[in-house]
Amino acid sequence: MAEKAILFDTSQCSGCKGCQAACKCWNDLPSPTALNADAPSFTGTYQNPPDLSGVTRLVMTFSEEQGGPKGIKWAFGRRSCQHCGDAPCATICPAGAIFVDEATGLVTTDAARCIGCRFCASACPFDVPRYAGDRGVINKCTGCVDRVANGLAPACVTTCQPGALSFGDRDEMVARAEERAAVLRERGYADAVAYGADEVGGLHVIQVLKYGAAAHGQRPDPAVNPAVQLTQVMKPVTGAVTGLTVAGLAAMFALGAGYKRDRRAYNPATGDTLDVDTREVIKHGDGQDTESVKEHILENLPRRKGGDHE
Amino acid sequence: MSNEAYVPTAAEARADEEFLRAQEASGTERFIKRHSLQARVTHGVTIACCLWLVVSGLFVFIPALAQAAGPGVVFAMRMSHRVIGVAFIAVPLVSALLAPKGVRHIFRNLFAKWDSDDKKWMILFFPYLFMAKWIHMPDQHELKSGQRFADGMLWFSGALMAVTGVILLVGSTVASFPAVYAWTLFLHDIGFFLICVFGLAHIFLGAGIFQPYRGSARLMFGDGMVSESDALYHWGHWAREELESGENVVEKEARR
Repeated sequence: MAEKAILFDTSQCSGCKGCQAACKCWNDLPSPTALNADAPSFTGTYQNPPDLSGVTRLVMTFSEEQGGPKGIKWAFGRRSCQHCGDAPCATICPAGAIFVDEATGLVTTDAARCIGCRFCASACPFDVPRYAGDRGVINKCTGCVDRVANGLAPACVTTCQPGALSFGDRDEMVARAEERAAVLRERGYADAVAYGADEVGGLHVIQVLKYGAAAHGQRPDPAVNPAVQLTQVMKPVTGAVTGLTVAGLAAMFALGAGYKRDRRAYNPATGDTLDVDTREVIKHGDGQDTESVKEHILENLPRRKGGDHE
Repeated sequence: MSNEAYVPTAAEARADEEFLRAQEASGTERFIKRHSLQARVTHGVTIACCLWLVVSGLFVFIPALAQAAGPGVVFAMRMSHRVIGVAFIAVPLVSALLAPKGVRHIFRNLFAKWDSDDKKWMILFFPYLFMAKWIHMPDQHELKSGQRFADGMLWFSGALMAVTGVILLVGSTVASFPAVYAWTLFLHDIGFFLICVFGLAHIFLGAGIFQPYRGSARLMFGDGMVSESDALYHWGHWAREELESGENVVEKEARR
């Protein structure tokens, strides 16, 4: 199967939020229904819930700005997992609970393997994964890989009435997005862009952003936190250096086999440090050592147990 | 300039001989008190915590282990990591509050000026580890120069683990700061790396696995005392100072 992608054309979106509802239905995710349950108070926006959460994988965003050919830019945005080509969440996940579906390139999850560490949330350049505290697992769009494997489109795409969402081979979605963005620019929407072809290794959610990336709530230049790769480097480095340390210590132990040391005693009256068995004076007084490093290393003959003069 | 064997005067030789005979006749051996009970208990609890933190941390650090163990085991390990982490931080802190003079003493030793014996000891340390039978090391003060460095690294990495651990705990429970969290995780990994290297070396030497350090375990896991002979070998300058003052010296039945 070729790499797949969702195409979201903001110029065709009616803001009905059917995709949001479909996502909830297909994934059996509840919606808080109490008054102001999602936001602390009424915010005056049509956007609801205000952001992604442990039970919300897709939020349509609504942004109004002055400008554009018609005097106002009402920009709908799609806030959900972008299914990065170089998915840092999958890279950093220690449990293998977030992984790239090889057949489609979509970044999916296996809640049964999730350990709730939230490393993925710290790695995501789009701030997408959310912790579902009641279940102790992370929550994010799976790309509906179960549906895709059975020949269906993701639930959000299937339900989209105005045809703003489509699903298909990624190359085709990218080509269509670029073509549509060019058409929009010709019609006077100078900031219209196709988004997602190259970002973070190539996203699997391609978007036509009528008023430009920022207006639709997208990051113009998303970047993965370098700490994500560094933590991955630390694993083999720690393993290798620890292994070397153990090997070195084992060698020291092997070379130290048969080591014996004569007993020592100190006579404060004379200031002599003595070898109890041979009665030799090992050192007189408490002065600093006067041998060179080389002499220390080469003094392997018992008769050279020298003492310091003071 | 080489250390040449010191030839004592006749009077000194007689005094030394009498001293050794008297010591043998007494059937006792001199020991120097080195670590207090509080220091030993703090060290013991910290070690137990540290070992458990290493083991439980591995379940997140090594993906293959996490995946083999399954989320239930990893969850239990993660939770124990948090609880034991609190003990790892709290026990030394409480101990420090109970004995501020001890803390000052530790840090004074850690940052003591290095004399020529200290520098020479450090240069000779790696050759010594592989040629202990042939190399005799320069005398040392209460903390060997290498100890100062290694203990300092353990203190540093322990503190790094503690601070980053608290940030990770807060960032995964009551607050959210993803970018800082990712960097903190990296620093936590750096601390783990240092603990692995310096901790292993510390165990190898401190527990007396290395043959010339046999008996060292008694210092922290026994009665906290070091025999005169071992003290003179490991910390010559300190041992002579202590033996002359006699303040921390006790006589016990000789080990035969």
